[in-house]
Amino acid sequence: MNHAFSHYLFWPLIKFLVAFVIVQGLVAAMNWIERRLLGLFQARLGPNRVGYKGLLQIIADPVKFLLKEDIVPASAEKVAYFLGPMLPLIPAFIVFCLIPFGPPPTFTVTRVNVGLLLILALTSTGVYGIILGGWASNNKYSLMGGLRSAAQMVSYEVPFGLSIVGVLMICGSLDLVTIVRYQEINAWNFLPQIVACFIFLVSMNAENNRTPFDLPEAESELVAGYHTEYSAMKFAFFMLAEFSMMIVNSCLIVTLFFGGWTLGMFGIGLTTDVLKGMGMFGGILGTLIFVTKVMLFMLMYVWFRATFPRFRFDQLMDLGWKWMIPLALGNIVVTGLFILAGQERLLYWIGIGAIGLAALYLFKPKRAESRKVIHAS
Amino acid sequence: MFDVHEMEINFGPQHPSTHGVLRVLLRVDGERIIDAKPIIGYLHRGTEKLFEHMAYPQCVPHTDRMDYVASATNNLGFVEAVEKILGVTKLIPRRAQILRVILSELQRISSHLLWLATHAIDIGAMTPFFYCFREREQILDFFEMYCGARLTLNCMRIGGMPEDVPHGWLDDIEAFCGKFDAAVDEYESLLTTNRIWKRRTVGIGVLSPEEAIEWGITGPPLRGSGVEWDLRRAQPYEIYPELEFDIPVGRNGDTYDRYLVRMAEMRQSNRILKQCIPLIKQTPVGDLKAKISKVIRPPEGEVYHSIEAPKGELGYYIVSDGKTQNAYRCHVRPPSFVNLQALPALARGHLVSDLVALIGTIDIVLGEVDR
Amino acid sequence: MQVEYRKEKLSDKYLVLDLLEGLKTTLRELFKPKVTIRYPEERMEPTDRFRGMFKFSYDRCIACKLCAVACPIDIIYIDVHDDIVEEGGKKKKVKVLDRYDIDVKRCMFCSLCEEACPTKPKSIWLTTKTYELATYDRNDLYFNMQELEYWDDRPKYTGLPEDDTKQIEGQKQISGGVE
Repeated sequence: MNHAFSHYLFWPLIKFLVAFVIVQGLVAAMNWIERRLLGLFQARLGPNRVGYKGLLQIIADPVKFLLKEDIVPASAEKVAYFLGPMLPLIPAFIVFCLIPFGPPPTFTVTRVNVGLLLILALTSTGVYGIILGGWASNNKYSLMGGLRSAAQMVSYEVPFGLSIVGVLMICGSLDLVTIVRYQEINAWNFLPQIVACFIFLVSMNAENNRTPFDLPEAESELVAGYHTEYSAMKFAFFMLAEFSMMIVNSCLIVTLFFGGWTLGMFGIGLTTDVLKGMGMFGGILGTLIFVTKVMLFMLMYVWFRATFPRFRFDQLMDLGWKWMIPLALGNIVVTGLFILAGQERLLYWIGIGAIGLAALYLFKPKRAESRKVIHAS
Repeated sequence: MFDVHEMEINFGPQHPSTHGVLRVLLRVDGERIIDAKPIIGYLHRGTEKLFEHMAYPQCVPHTDRMDYVASATNNLGFVEAVEKILGVTKLIPRRAQILRVILSELQRISSHLLWLATHAIDIGAMTPFFYCFREREQILDFFEMYCGARLTLNCMRIGGMPEDVPHGWLDDIEAFCGKFDAAVDEYESLLTTNRIWKRRTVGIGVLSPEEAIEWGITGPPLRGSGVEWDLRRAQPYEIYPELEFDIPVGRNGDTYDRYLVRMAEMRQSNRILKQCIPLIKQTPVGDLKAKISKVIRPPEGEVYHSIEAPKGELGYYIVSDGKTQNAYRCHVRPPSFVNLQALPALARGHLVSDLVALIGTIDIVLGEVDR
Repeated sequence: MQVEYRKEKLSDKYLVLDLLEGLKTTLRELFKPKVTIRYPEERMEPTDRFRGMFKFSYDRCIACKLCAVACPIDIIYIDVHDDIVEEGGKKKKVKVLDRYDIDVKRCMFCSLCEEACPTKPKSIWLTTKTYELATYDRNDLYFNMQELEYWDDRPKYTGLPEDDTKQIEGQKQISGGVE
């Protein structure tokens, strides 16, 4: 009983709290990182007044949200209105239990053998809060915005799930730890499954309502979105939920496609065994590697926001249903054929080829004569 | 009156994407626009009435404030119209003419940069805004060096120019011109081949050439539809006959074509600047004002003179009664006002999200529309 | 001249190169120096010809009223009276300036008054490089003759409010406005 208590309740709770605190710290830092980095991409400084390089903004923003007047519309549906912001937070917080931050068994909160399925199921419930929030505001435009956002999230759940199937076929298990272990023995999954990685990236952005899919949040549109009628802390909850989901999705992509907490491929480098051999230090090193990779993907979110224009809503749905899903299905078929033929390793060449070609074209030095000279000097 | 599914929405005067206080009354069916009626007048300041009470030289600062984004060309149009009614167009010294062209072309680049910045940010791309404004700051610094103000320039006088170039100004402009082509390449790398940008702009707001000519649309919207009409070539003024430049013309008349036309116009303006700087360096320093009396009292008559402002054909119609120092009537033909008439035709059938792209592509400035 | 339509290459379409091109541009911009001027610690210094606040010189002014005539908004209020002054034995009729007020809150800084002034050097000029004119009270923006000549030079910004505002008799502090 004592062993069961400490093994199944006490230690996971401690580990969850540690993970939770670290992640919420990351979310708070992300607030500053996004604004500062967005500014730096745009040839300006971001917030730089409040503290040294604007770091106190992290504290100033929550203080502002707490002190603001909480306006509740008179004709809003009270229960749903209050529930609306809370609901997206719940899956965002729970999913951190299921993601392995470092080498097991110390650095994973729990290890569920259908972990991936559970994560997918939980993240899908995030839509409910948005619909409730939009509907409960008793505002025509909020409702439209909420429904649009919900439609977007639901339609991109499908490529999200389908792109993972390729990974599952190669790795053979739904357990995230097994997937990471597989990746350190063979190459990281983004090489054989480059198409799936791309689809996952796109779906990730669409799920989180980030540019180029941020139509529901855009200010220059007529409909201001599901969080119009929310002020102060409830609005902050929506933002918190959005950033937490961003971190969850980044953790997922790192775990599934980029090797999790290891820095090795084909058994060479910092694999799990090497890290376990270093004891506690190895575990912390693994976690640090994981967190670094996750932060790189968060930076990538900001990078996309700085660069791309926004899709129109019908183009967004077109993209999801007409392009992403067939592509994901095609990926499954191709991967399946290769596995059937027993030649999984050949898939690596697809990834290497695509990345090589892209790099070749991007960094090709432009020949001076190839530009049509249309002006006199 | 209304179909069950139709809704009438106010794309109100206060909105982040209508550049200024434009109100568009939309009739939508779900998200499709059935009718879009622009309602203007929120920025009407009675400029034309003011002109009737001020002497001609005093009117020049007021013309700045109509199209406040491109004020040098507003000044130029008015000043040239008064010179035409006075009959002294041939007496303007050459150095003053070249200086006028330099300021106009710098203003054209600045206006198009602002257009690109706001158009891109309406469609969602945030970064071209800041990059364009970085270049625009340099141009505004040039204006400040020359005439003392950055936005409402008041940089031209009837009969010539107020003052000569400051020391080092021409070299600074030359350095800017050298770097500007690379800057336009940078904006194009972010937008022109971007598939998201293309999806938002190709096929949106198609204006056929016949329709454009019927509505009286001028400027880049007309050239984007394929009509090669530019007042700098058709009715040349100042020293434009001597300069080498091309008129970019589109093919389909959609938003993407108008975007390409304006980007190419920026490059062509840069080309004109590169030709003007050596020209003005060669002209000897001398008088910058024609020998006309300080008191401007034009003979009785009327004149209509138009120039190619960045947004289209800017025209001034001045009626003088020969007795007073004020105009009897001064009517301005603003390009944005006439171009805005096309908005309902362009918007019909598109989605509400496209409306912001359309307002951006016609490139209106409410100061001009309402005067 | 037909605009250049870039042909869409297959490599661009399938390798997502057009989007990667944009990403490369923003990444390059990340490492370039930023153009923000951190006001009020760093201040943009206007050029020599910048049209800022007026300064007036009573000694040079000949009370010809040309500036008031030239102003498009008629915000220069001038009162003169003729006076007979003894100079070297001969009596001369001079114009004495009684009132020279400018309503700065309505001014558009077009500098037509400066151009109209016939004296050399000018008696009214705008090239004072002062643009921070905000005050807490509207009436502070109505400058009479004394204030136009003797207002304090450009405010010095340390980012902190000034505790000791030295008040010289008849001198008007322009902006910074700590009441």
